Amino acid sequence: MTVQAPIAITGLGSLSGAGLNLTESMESLFRGERHPHPPIRFTTDHPVSYLVLELRDGFKLPLDEQEQVYSRTCQLALAAALEALAHAGWNAENLRGKRVGVCVGTTVGCALNCDDFYRAYKGDAKPDLGIMERFLRSNPAAVIARQLKLDGPIQTVVNACSSGTDAIGIGASWLRSGACDIVIAGGADELLRVTYAGFSSLMITDSDPCKPFDVKRKGLNLGEGAGILILESAAIRSEKKAQGYVLGYGSACDAYHLTAPHPDGAGLKQAMHEAFTAADVTPADIAFVNTHGTGTPDNDRVEGRVLNAVLPGVPFLSTKGYTGHTLGAAGGIEAVFSVACLQRGEIPTSIGFADADPEVISTPVIKNTRIAGGIALSESLAFGGNNAVLILGKGDH
Amino acid sequence: MQMAIQGIGLTGGFGSGVESLHAALQSGEIVTQQGQVEHKGKIDTFPAYLASLDGLEEFIPKRALRRIDHCSRMTLLTACLALKDAGMFEAERTRMGVIIASGYGPLKTTFDFLDSYLDFGYACSSPTHFSNSVHNAAAAHVSMQLKTTAPSLTVTQFEMSVPSALLTAQQWLAEGRVDQVLFGAVDEQCDVLRYCRQQFFADGELGPLQPFAFNKQSAVAGEGAVFFVLTRDETAAYSHIDEVKLGNHAVCPVSLAQDELLILGADGHKECGRWYEEAAAGNETAAYTPFYGSFPAAAGFDLAVAALSLRNNRLYTSPESTGPTKLTLAEPRDLNGTPLACLKFGLAGEYGLTRMSP
Repeated sequence: MTVQAPIAITGLGSLSGAGLNLTESMESLFRGERHPHPPIRFTTDHPVSYLVLELRDGFKLPLDEQEQVYSRTCQLALAAALEALAHAGWNAENLRGKRVGVCVGTTVGCALNCDDFYRAYKGDAKPDLGIMERFLRSNPAAVIARQLKLDGPIQTVVNACSSGTDAIGIGASWLRSGACDIVIAGGADELLRVTYAGFSSLMITDSDPCKPFDVKRKGLNLGEGAGILILESAAIRSEKKAQGYVLGYGSACDAYHLTAPHPDGAGLKQAMHEAFTAADVTPADIAFVNTHGTGTPDNDRVEGRVLNAVLPGVPFLSTKGYTGHTLGAAGGIEAVFSVACLQRGEIPTSIGFADADPEVISTPVIKNTRIAGGIALSESLAFGGNNAVLILGKGDH
Repeated sequence: MQMAIQGIGLTGGFGSGVESLHAALQSGEIVTQQGQVEHKGKIDTFPAYLASLDGLEEFIPKRALRRIDHCSRMTLLTACLALKDAGMFEAERTRMGVIIASGYGPLKTTFDFLDSYLDFGYACSSPTHFSNSVHNAAAAHVSMQLKTTAPSLTVTQFEMSVPSALLTAQQWLAEGRVDQVLFGAVDEQCDVLRYCRQQFFADGELGPLQPFAFNKQSAVAGEGAVFFVLTRDETAAYSHIDEVKLGNHAVCPVSLAQDELLILGADGHKECGRWYEEAAAGNETAAYTPFYGSFPAAAGFDLAVAALSLRNNRLYTSPESTGPTKLTLAEPRDLNGTPLACLKFGLAGEYGLTRMSP
């Protein structure tokens, strides 16, 4: 890997349990608010009720009723994309004729998790084929491209919980190679009964609000949402000011376990090293780290130790306490938050943390904290041993 | 940047290994198996192209395969075959990236997981099935079994999965992120998929698969996996991939040279057929899907046919060539250095065009 040219970020869009747009989300984060609750959109017979962070009431899907033909994940992706495009000064009309790529990460957005259909298939009822037709139309990157009538590369990344981070890194490389001039990049995932059941079965969910990096952490709260960035080539951007920059990206695989991170964080360290090299920065240049910080015992222990080894003393936080773990969307949302924090010059308290864990070694920030410098690191760890790291730079504002 | 194909591994309805595909192309013999599923007490039999896992234990110990599902086993088998074909099975793999394209991911395990809670309650949801139902599980098993610690990527883009993922393979090699990419595609057949296809297409599933009958539903279900070892080298054991272009024909028509020789990914799906008819009507074309069937990852088999053709300097007869196109290759012929391009369309006009040369 050699040093890579910075890629300008010209628009940001995000929605999650923390807020229905980026402005609302940032206000919520810096007020230290969070609203986890038992699931409302679905029920299960599970004896324990685990908390989640769903989108609050008031979210209006971006398509009108006749067009409600896509999955909720696609609707979330589209909503964040439209917010980010508007932020960057783009819309469907003025994008026409441009070479626009779409690279979106997801986890459940591509899985045939249609349990209503399958229940009917197994039982006496006739399955509703409309559910299957909707699934076959609902590839998140393809839906954004289709709705905006775009002509360019499209890719839906399914690298589990690092998907959103990977999608942004891949989108940036498309611009560097000239594959297109604009990329809509990020992640999206809805909250489903299937993933709720799955994470519960792994015994890594918390029935209380999650506590990333805390000694008493028990697990994650699932969430849903989307985070999208607009990336532009220098030629297209012209005089437009950048909101931020993708300075570097790295990824590596632990090749260790299907669901647990490597105990020494081998893949995470390798991904960090690659990202530092690509961005031509050193650990001393990093103003803060937006961690994966799920609140699970394994993840936070490994991540904390790696931070202590590679980035000692650098302030860090987890925003999962505000958003829940949004799976494939997480990397997108956290990259958006990181850029917005660089613009503000401060990071919010790492909500949920109270008492240090000697096994984690490092401790996150416990209050809204001013940052020194204009470079942030956002990282994601995932099932399958995937680790992905973005180095993000402050914009021109 | 050109990518060089140094090894190929595959399993599908025609058998396992690159020589099985080569033999099918030479003989022109189309072999389908009989799929069978039981649903609500009724046995349903249907033609299908099903993949064999023979030979997997030559590479991976039986014990290590215990909790690995069919989709990941197909993946592992073909990844190992590709490495062996490239003479790299014993090579050090810390600079080898893994990229997998899959239209549907691990379907059987996805439904096995749903079974676990629908049958026994949410408290009995299976953690093993859940963790193996995540779409990048196959890539994870490849990385764990073959000790590849470089970047790993899984792409799910329905029909566009293969060309989309291939674009990223090209980027990784061009940027120097890796020295080799173990690039694969996989999709599996399952009873729910059979049910849906039958509901959607009825007799259109019975075959024979007629790729050039663009206005007729003739898709026959298939499954399989294919892997390639890709490098930056100037010399290739098979051929080079020169360009990967993605776009949407409905927005901006795909640009093809008039003398461009095309391998179409047409697989008997009427909804996609119209795009081939519209875009490729003026070109000389071939389609080999009747050898391996209709499933998203089959676009990877098209690449394998192109690579074999370029290596052997021979374009094989396009089977089941009946249909409206008059330019279909009905006889084998020498290529004499002519490049090839694989063209794959999705439902809404999305396309992937992969240009290849000797």
